[in-house]
Amino acid sequence: MNESATLPSLYRRLLVWLLVPMLLLGSLVLAQAYMASRDTADRAFDRLLEAASLAIAEQVKRQQGQLWMDLPPAALKMLASQAEERVFYALYDANGNFISGNAELPALDDTAADMRFADIEWHDMALRLGIRRSQLEGWRNRQPFEVRVAHTREGREALTQSLFQGSMLRLVAMALLAIGVVLLGIRMALMPLTRLRRAIRARDPRTLAPLDLALPRELAELRETLNDLLARMRRVRANQERFIGDASHQLRTPLAGLSARAELALRQDDPRAWHAALDVMRGSADKTARLASQLLSLTRLNNPEATPEAVAIDLCHTARQAVRDAWTQCHRDGIDLGVEVPAHPVMQQAVEWQLAEALANLLDNARRYGARRITVRVTEGPTRLEVEDDGPGIPESQRLLVLRPFHRGIEGGQGSGLGLAIVDGIARTHGARLSLAPTHPHAEPPGLCVRLQFSEEGTS
Amino acid sequence: MTPLRRLCGLAVLAWTGLTASLACHADPQVLHYPATQAPAQPLEIHGALDSDLMAPLLADFQARHPEIELVYRNLTTLALYRRFMSADATSADVVMSSAMPWQYQLANRGYAQSLDTAEARAWPQASRWRRELFGITFEPVVIVYRRDAIASDASPDSHEALLRLLTEQRQRLTGRVVTYDPWRSGAGYTYATADSHMSPRYWELVAALGGVKAALADTTGDMLDGLIAGRYDIGYNLLGSYARDVVADHPQLEMVIPDDYALVMQRLALIPKRAPHPETARRFLDYLLSRQGQQAIRDKTPLGAVHPDLEGPETAHGLRRALGDAIHPIAIDPGLLATLDALKRHSLLERWQREYTRLSDNAP
Repeated sequence: MNESATLPSLYRRLLVWLLVPMLLLGSLVLAQAYMASRDTADRAFDRLLEAASLAIAEQVKRQQGQLWMDLPPAALKMLASQAEERVFYALYDANGNFISGNAELPALDDTAADMRFADIEWHDMALRLGIRRSQLEGWRNRQPFEVRVAHTREGREALTQSLFQGSMLRLVAMALLAIGVVLLGIRMALMPLTRLRRAIRARDPRTLAPLDLALPRELAELRETLNDLLARMRRVRANQERFIGDASHQLRTPLAGLSARAELALRQDDPRAWHAALDVMRGSADKTARLASQLLSLTRLNNPEATPEAVAIDLCHTARQAVRDAWTQCHRDGIDLGVEVPAHPVMQQAVEWQLAEALANLLDNARRYGARRITVRVTEGPTRLEVEDDGPGIPESQRLLVLRPFHRGIEGGQGSGLGLAIVDGIARTHGARLSLAPTHPHAEPPGLCVRLQFSEEGTS
Repeated sequence: MTPLRRLCGLAVLAWTGLTASLACHADPQVLHYPATQAPAQPLEIHGALDSDLMAPLLADFQARHPEIELVYRNLTTLALYRRFMSADATSADVVMSSAMPWQYQLANRGYAQSLDTAEARAWPQASRWRRELFGITFEPVVIVYRRDAIASDASPDSHEALLRLLTEQRQRLTGRVVTYDPWRSGAGYTYATADSHMSPRYWELVAALGGVKAALADTTGDMLDGLIAGRYDIGYNLLGSYARDVVADHPQLEMVIPDDYALVMQRLALIPKRAPHPETARRFLDYLLSRQGQQAIRDKTPLGAVHPDLEGPETAHGLRRALGDAIHPIAIDPGLLATLDALKRHSLLERWQREYTRLSDNAP
């Protein structure tokens, strides 16, 4: 329970991926709303600058040869809202000379429009400046002039705040709603997953039948994958059952033979017959013991959870040892057993007992199937381990089949049918490639060369 | 530009008249109250307000804050403004002046710091601008006349009545009326501006004043002196805070607050941004706005108190109750800036002059 709480959760991942972008988006929208509020407030208050400057401009006339104005107090009062802004005004002539005003306000460069606005920083105050270009009304002297009015931003900020607060409230309400919908949506979307989990949990653990459950497309793929896996497991189980059946059969036959032989011997009184029977029985028991030990090896090799750790070993040493072990037997049978290794050690990551087992099996096979000359060879670059003989060899059509347990290359042979299967298993655990090829393809008998070629990364 | 500049100079000069209407002091008077309790905390106040009016107020403040070393400089409004604008002179901690447009101009320009105390927040909206400029007094503009010259049933208790009186008794009153000279007196100019905004009929009144060849005075003090001495029968637009005490002392004089509309002047106080002792400055201004300070203003000076909790005939509350809507305080708003505009001033004064001379030119 605790463990599942700390695991990364799909629900949480969806939540993060939906809510974080939503939050970012929300912040963006908020920022945009603030800008829009500010814009609206500016536009509203710019109307005041416009009206005030117009009221002033209307009072500008020409008197005593120069610009004159009768400043309307209402124009200045207009510029101050409830927020009690600081108010500035000035009248400038066409050449930019200050005529009258309570502050020397800066000019604006852009001369396109009649009325221009700008945010300026003036004596440590943030002002909104409005400049009206106008000219005297008259028959003759249409002298241009500029009315500049400015005020501080308090009123604008107050309006911005109140507008922004309105949109913020709406946005927050929408965000809450959206979060609710997202939470609900995720729960609904993950529902089939829960159903799948329940379906799997409710299954009989011994059944490997495919899942049959209506699911959305994404999960249907998962279901198909799962069904594929189940199908493979069914095949593996069938193989295992067949192997067990074969193994029992293989063990039962010699044991039945033993039993029959012993019964036959017991009916006789001649101790020599007993002796002969015991001799036969010992041979038969030896064979059965070897069969059992081979079965054991195969089982151990096929157990993926008991893989021994590979260490660097010298292949030459392993080859020599295998030859030494098999020498007596071969010598008795008159077989010419030899070893061909480089003068220096050939190191390889491997499990030594497994390689020894593989070599022993190969040598045993060669001996049993009538080879007269066997060579164990180690080569470098690429690293190979070979066992070569001049026996009858294996026809090409049989080469894959012989790797299966209990398949004998030659009917009625003396082997257990497990040797090459074991070698194949060992090759697989070492990541090596196993190949069977005739030694002399055109001669008769062609002989057999069994080769284990190790992959590069295991070589050292 | 030359005529304009002269005009500006004139405007500045004119404001000096506002300093103290009773007496105009050429040299700055200095009141000094040493601290009676250590450690002394200095406070320098610059005001365009007579020392003898300020003294009881300052003494009251000092009694409450004995640790404050208090210096009060009485300056003319012009000197006050110049001192404020010059960078090198030692700066004041509190600046008080009756020259409302100039005080407003300083605050508008961002030279005042804001006072954020409970008193400042509660101060009536009409008597403050932001929290930087505070109207600390409430002084109506009044009409004073001699009882022996004007029958009580013809009392000029409104602008309407005054106009009627001047028109009907033009011959008898010729040379017997006095008012501010708007050209030379800043206060007179401010009142003229406010009057002209109240009603266009003001110009009829100006014409009538011209018709009786009204004398033009610089200060309320001059007008009161002339009234006491019997040179004038009627004085128009006197500062009520000064007139009240004088009228009380002279039974032959009668003071009326016009009941159609009465202008009210407020002395404005601010704390400069570069005040060297802002902490004590805040304490003093807070005192002026407090109930105690306002009580001192009501009881110990002729200046009217503004504090809404205070009652009495001289307080804002009392005046409002007595006259209702007729009370028209000069608004502390950007309209004051228009008053300072040199061209505007010139336009208004020219109109005033035209109206003033209208009847006398046509006179037979």
